[in-house]
Amino acid sequence: MKKTKLGEFEELVLLTVAALQQDAYGVEIKRELESRLQERLSVGSIQSALKRMEDKGFLTSQFGEATAKRGGKRKRIYATTSHGRKVLEEMKDIRTQLWSAIPKLAFELKAI
Amino acid sequence: MESQALNPPKWPLKFLRFFLKDEYLEEIEGDMEEIFYENVERFSVRKARRMYALEMIKLLRPNLIKNLEFVNHLMHYSMFKNYFKVSFRGLKKNPINSFINVFGLAVAIGLAIFAYAFARWTFSTDQFHENKNTVYLTTFFANRDGANQLYGTTPRPIGEHLRQDFAQIKSVCRIEDRNVVMKYDEHVFHERVRYVDPEFLEMFTFPLKWGTSNALKDVNSIILSEAMSIKYFGEENPIGTSIQMIYGKGQSKVFKVVGVAAEFPKARTIGFDFLINFENFRTTDPGYNYHDWNAFVNATFIKVDNPADLISIKSKMEKYKDLQNSVAKEDWAISSFSFEPLATLHEQSEFIKDDISRSSKNNYTSIVFMVAIAVFMLALACVNYINIAIATAAKRLKEIGVRKSIGATRKVVIVQFLTENVVVTSFALLIGLALGYFFFIPGFEMLWNFSMDFQFTDINLWIYLPIILLITSIASGIYPAIYISHFQATTILKGSVKFGQRNLLTKVFLCFQLVFACVFITMSVMFTQNTDYMSKRSWGYNQSDGLYALVPDRSSFEQLRTIMSQHPDVVSIAGSAHHIGRSHKSTVLHFPSRNYEVDQLDVDAKYLETMGLQLKEGRWFNDYEGSDQNAVVINETLANTLGEHPIGKVFQIDSVQFEVIGVLNEFHSYSFSQTVRPLIFKLAEKTDYRFLAVKARSGSELNVYKALQAGWTELFPEIPFEGGLQQDVWGFYYQQIGIYKLVWRVFAFLAITLATLGLYGLVRLNVESRIKEFSVRKVLGAGFKNISASVINQYVSLFIIALCVGAPLGYWAGSWLIEFTDEYHMLITFSGAVIAVVITALVLAMTMFTQILKVVKSNPINGLKVD
Repeated sequence: MKKTKLGEFEELVLLTVAALQQDAYGVEIKRELESRLQERLSVGSIQSALKRMEDKGFLTSQFGEATAKRGGKRKRIYATTSHGRKVLEEMKDIRTQLWSAIPKLAFELKAI
Repeated sequence: MESQALNPPKWPLKFLRFFLKDEYLEEIEGDMEEIFYENVERFSVRKARRMYALEMIKLLRPNLIKNLEFVNHLMHYSMFKNYFKVSFRGLKKNPINSFINVFGLAVAIGLAIFAYAFARWTFSTDQFHENKNTVYLTTFFANRDGANQLYGTTPRPIGEHLRQDFAQIKSVCRIEDRNVVMKYDEHVFHERVRYVDPEFLEMFTFPLKWGTSNALKDVNSIILSEAMSIKYFGEENPIGTSIQMIYGKGQSKVFKVVGVAAEFPKARTIGFDFLINFENFRTTDPGYNYHDWNAFVNATFIKVDNPADLISIKSKMEKYKDLQNSVAKEDWAISSFSFEPLATLHEQSEFIKDDISRSSKNNYTSIVFMVAIAVFMLALACVNYINIAIATAAKRLKEIGVRKSIGATRKVVIVQFLTENVVVTSFALLIGLALGYFFFIPGFEMLWNFSMDFQFTDINLWIYLPIILLITSIASGIYPAIYISHFQATTILKGSVKFGQRNLLTKVFLCFQLVFACVFITMSVMFTQNTDYMSKRSWGYNQSDGLYALVPDRSSFEQLRTIMSQHPDVVSIAGSAHHIGRSHKSTVLHFPSRNYEVDQLDVDAKYLETMGLQLKEGRWFNDYEGSDQNAVVINETLANTLGEHPIGKVFQIDSVQFEVIGVLNEFHSYSFSQTVRPLIFKLAEKTDYRFLAVKARSGSELNVYKALQAGWTELFPEIPFEGGLQQDVWGFYYQQIGIYKLVWRVFAFLAITLATLGLYGLVRLNVESRIKEFSVRKVLGAGFKNISASVINQYVSLFIIALCVGAPLGYWAGSWLIEFTDEYHMLITFSGAVIAVVITALVLAMTMFTQILKVVKSNPINGLKVD
């Protein structure tokens, strides 16, 4: 099931795309993630994650409008596919289940 | 300008467009630009541009960059693993071929590394001075001999004047050398001290191991080199110790050691043994006139902050010229001043007469020779490799056929062969590095007794080595790879490919190789002949029976002469102020028509007989008090320039009239590498005697030498003896000649070894592939004669061509080289080329013979049983 596997960073990017909706293009995704993660990200890392997820079928994309700020080049707007959303939800469920499976004692013991 | 600065830099974009997948370009370019303008608002433009470039580089990710077809093919790691395995197996399977390839390349690479080390050493000479671009040697042009010549010395007062008159000149340093005797406890040696201005250590980068450099301001201070510190004080720190400098008979001054220099870099021409303050001349030489425009100091260095200032300085120096010209003797008139930066001084010193840095012409030409030899050797080794690779290709055809039929393209096969080649060359590089480091470089250093300071930490070396690796692998591998890969898989597997023995190019290469070998052998035979000739060539006087000793003054001369004249083996004794091979002074002769700058030697009347000089015409000085005060004897060179009938010609030196009374046969004061200069002998004032020359009975030179030393020690236990055999005055001339001989023999040996190895490999492969044919021949009754004929006949024409081309080429190159390096060489004849041809032919015949013998001895049944 390699195709459906979602890396940690990829998951974050995918979530950002889902959150940004119509604004989800390269620079905006980067900006949003940087502000949330409180760290600098390179264009290369974002772009390579986006392209990888597009190949895996989590994302689709289409050209948006061009602005002067971009030297007349068009943006590419990303959107999650239904498959992508399903995988995100699955990941969330797995996480919640795992969280609830941790006995409370484990934390308390650690605190001692 | 402003708007351009606001744009992102261009080159990262070009870079990106080359690497990035086309379908992503528009989006990512746009993103990058947007981010750039955002960054421009947040940070400075420069930082934004920097970040832009950095981001671009970070975009190089496998899933973003183009699938370059070629790169993809190369990136098959497992295929490379297979290539390596195949190359190692190949190397192990044919140990002889591998040895020939690896060894040949290793020798050539070793020589290339050696050439590199030598070039590095030469070009780095005197380059360690931090101020090399702001420190200048003051030089001047003067016309003493009909042509303007650049001199590296300077009139004495000029240093002081420059210091006072020009604010742009930050510091000035005058340098003078004197011979003295140094004494500390029982250590007493003849030494050379350098009188310098205290700025010396600021201008030149000689860090001190102990002590402080500014202490030289004190006239009682002395700074030692590390070597001298060890010589006198051992490993101890001598700071504060007193050392006595004896500068005349019974005259001495005590100095306090204030500094010891750290070990000097090896590649230097300016250094020192002892440094003392220039002002010391006031005590050691009361007659030393600091303001005498007629006298010269060895060197005056200046330091300026801005080299552009030199132009204005130079123009204002005209007044010194006038000053000097008005008081100077006419012969020494300066025509203009100039400056030479320290950075290029060593390179230029060939053209600056009497400068402080030694002439370097030989080193720079040697680099050219060494590079040429290294390139030749590399070419020989590469040709060997190509020949053997093509000859062995037959054995690899099946492999290539299989590779091709399961999908290898021609490109892949070429890459495979080149990989194998890189493996072989890397081996060779390792061995070559070892050869260079443990054999060539130390050997050369030992022969010439100096250190090149070659180190593996040199960064340039690690740029140079991969370049050699790359060039050698490609030069030797590309042709075999292309050749072997061009066969069709189907023809190979059908077994219908015919090649190998009759490849024309192989023959051309072999011929080429033999020509090289022949050229080298011819040259080295010629050089050996020339060196033989040089070692036997007469110096023009009797150098083998002569001895000499340096004496401080007349009375010590008389004492030593009294002792030596009682020795039974002494034939004659002479006194002189100068001595052949050791010293002379420069004088200008004024003839009515023109002036001549000549070497002058002041000697006594016995000098002719003692040194074995020969008169060509006229007479020598008469041996009685007050004779021939205004007479000179000249050498043949001067006589030739004076024209016919030189005897009786009259000229002036410093307005005193002299007459030529005799002409001597040509003789060499200094070594054969130097042109004989015009020279005059004059009678010396007895008070000026500084040398005692002795002629010993033939064969007893060493006895007399011992007696001379013993006599000296008895008379002057305080002062060390200085002198020697006349045949050593050229700095161990005979040993040097031996070295040249050896070096050329080594080169010739290497060249012929490489060529023989190549030939051996080829003939062996040829014979092996024809083993069936030979077996059939033998079964049908072929004898030694028939077999040898059939082995040799395809090479004979090749050998003849190689010898016919190689020998004349070698002869031509050899005579050019000999004429270039030696002013006085042997008469060049064809005998060298003939000897070389015989040697080459013999070696070739022997190589062929080993293979013929193998065939003759083999059992034909074994040959026929193959397959």
